[in-house]
Amino acid sequence: MTNLDASSSEVVFHPKPSLPPPPNTVGAIGWARKNLFSSPLNAFLTILSLYVIWVVVSNAFEWAVVNAVWEANSRRECLDKVGLSGACWAGVSHWMKNFIYGRYPDEEVWRVNLGFGTLILWMLPFWLPRVTSKIAIGASAILISPFLLGYLFAGGEKGLFLQVMISIAITSFIFSWAHTLLSMATGKSLWAAIVQASGFSAKPEATHKYPVFAACLVVFAVAFAWQSSWDISGQSTNLWGGLFVTLVISGIGIAVSLPAGIVLALGRRSKMPVIRVFCVSFIELFRSVPLITVLFMAVTMVPLFLPEAINPVKIVQAIIAVCIFSSAYMAETVRGGLQAIPKGQYEAAQALGLSYWKMMTLIVMPQALKLMIPNIVGSFIGLLKDTTLVSIVGLYDLLLMLKAVSQNPQWNGIHTEPLVFGAALYFVLCFVMSKYSQHLERTLGAGQAGR
Amino acid sequence: MSSGFDFLGSTAGFSIAFSIIPYEAGDSYLWVYLVGITNTLLLSFLAIVATTMLGFFVGIMRLSKNWMVAQLASWYVEILRNTPLLLQILFWYLAVFAILPRPKNSVDILSLELFQLNNRGFYFPAPVPGDLFWLTMVTLLISVIVAYGIAIWAKRRQNATGVRFPAFWTGVGIIIGFPMLMFLITGSPLQWDIPVLKGFNFAGGSSVPPAFLAVFIALVIYHACFIAEMVRAGILSVSHGQTEASYSLGLKPGLTLRLVIIPQAMRAIVPPLISNWMNVVKNSSLAIAVGFPDLVAVFMQTSLNQSGHAIEIVAMVMFFYMTVSLTISGALNYYNKLVQLKER
Repeated sequence: MTNLDASSSEVVFHPKPSLPPPPNTVGAIGWARKNLFSSPLNAFLTILSLYVIWVVVSNAFEWAVVNAVWEANSRRECLDKVGLSGACWAGVSHWMKNFIYGRYPDEEVWRVNLGFGTLILWMLPFWLPRVTSKIAIGASAILISPFLLGYLFAGGEKGLFLQVMISIAITSFIFSWAHTLLSMATGKSLWAAIVQASGFSAKPEATHKYPVFAACLVVFAVAFAWQSSWDISGQSTNLWGGLFVTLVISGIGIAVSLPAGIVLALGRRSKMPVIRVFCVSFIELFRSVPLITVLFMAVTMVPLFLPEAINPVKIVQAIIAVCIFSSAYMAETVRGGLQAIPKGQYEAAQALGLSYWKMMTLIVMPQALKLMIPNIVGSFIGLLKDTTLVSIVGLYDLLLMLKAVSQNPQWNGIHTEPLVFGAALYFVLCFVMSKYSQHLERTLGAGQAGR
Repeated sequence: MSSGFDFLGSTAGFSIAFSIIPYEAGDSYLWVYLVGITNTLLLSFLAIVATTMLGFFVGIMRLSKNWMVAQLASWYVEILRNTPLLLQILFWYLAVFAILPRPKNSVDILSLELFQLNNRGFYFPAPVPGDLFWLTMVTLLISVIVAYGIAIWAKRRQNATGVRFPAFWTGVGIIIGFPMLMFLITGSPLQWDIPVLKGFNFAGGSSVPPAFLAVFIALVIYHACFIAEMVRAGILSVSHGQTEASYSLGLKPGLTLRLVIIPQAMRAIVPPLISNWMNVVKNSSLAIAVGFPDLVAVFMQTSLNQSGHAIEIVAMVMFFYMTVSLTISGALNYYNKLVQLKER
């Protein structure tokens, strides 16, 4: 027996080892008991859900994979093979090129690819670690790249203004990548490297900008000389279509609506009555009407206010409408973020003696935008989905392209397959965006963990 | 370019496929405007009611303790809210309703020979009120007023004395009972006009075209996702301590849900619900894509192309949507003010 002598130093309490939990509460069986079969009603619901899932998935799988026809030359051929019991993916793959590029000529498609490739490359430093001045790189991608990309997509004659802007775009692209590579490799910024190489580092700091300007000028001159030899044929915007147009419209919409929304939201909270009234009425008007009416308004009214010589391009009208509409929505999103910032932050910024714009750009906006990331990305997703409406005014975006297949004599009446394909494509784009925003929220919100 | 609102009186020479107020090709543009408005309002009202019910159902499903049910609901939400509404409308229209059988082989829903679905539309019985039916309606109106009065009296008495009175069930009894009694006394003056197949199509009853069904179903299914998320967020926003406190006071789970959880959840649900309802109204304008004659289709497209009065027509359409939006948000903001937390 245990020694009960208190003076003995061998008295040690040995707890019995814990028993393992009952076998039916751990592992897969325990989980299933707890989450699926905790009561007769739950068991019934589980079986009912399983049945619903089985019916949907098995039928969809049978239609989309088992009975599907992948190779055929016309819908007739598909129908002869499987009738309506299987999908006719041949129709989709025949039209895949049109779904992506619209009616852009085949031999010119490289321009679209090059344009989007450049844009992705331009934005890439944003996601790379160790790269500094990401804001400047992002701003150049949003503000300056459209000139280069627009010329690539449309081609044709270019005036002096466009030539200058294209050269600036090339220069800033080269500089941002030089900076990115340098800071990835050495952790130094391009600015510092140029100053050092030119031997200006010993001179007063105010003169440090001269060698950088000189380098810019040199690259600009080379770029200008290089681009002046470009000669790419003009492609009418009537030929643009498919995913290409969808991305162009929503891309411009996103790039315009965020800054415009910020300005409108600030205007709405402004103390100057004229600005406030204008912003409030702009936001309220365009938020309370459907996008279609704004689109029709742009299509029918823009020509009325332009001189007759200018024949507005339909895609431009659609982009104007989308920008107006999404700016109004973005303004409300940003306003929500601004209202969430405690008054103490404003007061502290003013107490530090910051001016209005410094207070906004350094203190308030970063916090407000961070708070509103889910809503901002939500607006972007909404915008991407809403661009489908441009098909109603006859722009061949992805949706109208999907619909157009069925009017082709060869593929007459094929509706389901292109629409399912398009739905899947939109789903992937939107789902990736929303998952990315959740990731962003987690990483940027790290400082607020546990709140 | 002519301007002014004179054109509203002139004849619109086109026909409209579906209208709930009588319309003929010779009617004026003003009448076209009203036809468009009533069509839009009918579509959006029905869609709002159905969306809210489906949305609450799916939102509660997502919170189910049953993992399978919650997953099912969450995939419903994820898939449908990440696909454009217009694409869904086209899908329902082109891939579902366009391949329905001809009237001769109609789908007989519920096999009652009352509800028929075919490629011309959805046919259902229409009520035909008899001579004395107005008496039932008047009784109904009076019953509602009486029930409302009883509810106010019961609440006052409870506040004063603490004695409860089953005002809700009494009210239900009054509202159903008395009109029913009057209906039977006056000799059931209501008949149903049942659609029957005559020749190539159904005659009698009421019907809506496939385009209506496509837009309605797509609107309901799409917007229900957003309402489901609001409901989920609203219920989750009520802290668990409230449930525990209510249990410790001795309230039963049903009463806890009704008196403690839902009233507090409604505070978080109502504001976004308002904007979602407005979105339903606005998105009903997508009906134009499948040819259902809503306001945008008949007025902003057909009438505008015919008369050319762009500015006036755009202004009138925008005025209508703004009025509806402001009405909805005004009414619900009032409700919102009533239920919001009153802090000192």
